[in-house]
Amino acid sequence: MLKEARLRAGLTQAELGSRMDKAASAIGRWERGEVDPSLETLRHAIRAAGFELTLGLAVADDHDVALIRRCLSQSPAERLTTLVAAVRAISSMAVAAHG
Amino acid sequence: MADFDPVQLLRTLTEHKVKFIVIGGIAARLRGAPLLTEDIDITPDRSIDNLERTATALRMLDARLRTPTEPDGVAFPIEAEMLAVNQSWTLVTKAGDLDLVFLPAGTSGYDDLARSAADLTITEEGDLVVQVAALADIIRSKEAAGRDKDKAALPLLRRTLEESAEG
Repeated sequence: MLKEARLRAGLTQAELGSRMDKAASAIGRWERGEVDPSLETLRHAIRAAGFELTLGLAVADDHDVALIRRCLSQSPAERLTTLVAAVRAISSMAVAAHG
Repeated sequence: MADFDPVQLLRTLTEHKVKFIVIGGIAARLRGAPLLTEDIDITPDRSIDNLERTATALRMLDARLRTPTEPDGVAFPIEAEMLAVNQSWTLVTKAGDLDLVFLPAGTSGYDDLARSAADLTITEEGDLVVQVAALADIIRSKEAAGRDKDKAALPLLRRTLEESAEG
């Protein structure tokens, strides 16, 4: 995520490092996962690249996980085919329901 | 109401050599998120040549402006210069609703999304390949858009990203 923020900002590791008083090598170690920055450090680094790190809570839902895994097991073509079938089925039911 | 036919729509764009990236709910679905959506959202490249190809494809698709009061849409002059005027267009076509979004929220457009987009084969026959935005970019854009429907989709998208090879 840090690398993505830096690249999207068009910054080198040295440029991002200078914005937060860190060496380019420190940025590199974070990006390569050799060192894990604290959450606050990560937030600071991402802010230095011009972005905000947002976090939130969501209720865990195992049903969603089952659906996700089934969808991920399909090819992109199968995912699109099942989407079209579902949308058309819902449309047909809506038409039937409204007479 | 037009039949929802994303393959026909995306094939028409591809046959006219339009440079575009599939974004939004359809892109999320193609990336493995079990979302239901009837909108087809794309980010075209904004070069004038590409806008001319886009305009030609839109004419083939009988594209009209989508409005709340006109279910069949409103005709408008589909020309490259016209498309260049707005940041986005909400259209109805003979293959379903199509949104052209040149600057999706939280992104800087086609080149930004192209960095992480992938070519995905979207037909069982293997004869149609389109560029699809990365799940991380779809999430980034929905976070920035901040609309209720975008926020509602975010937990599922984030979980899909975690479960997928992209995460």
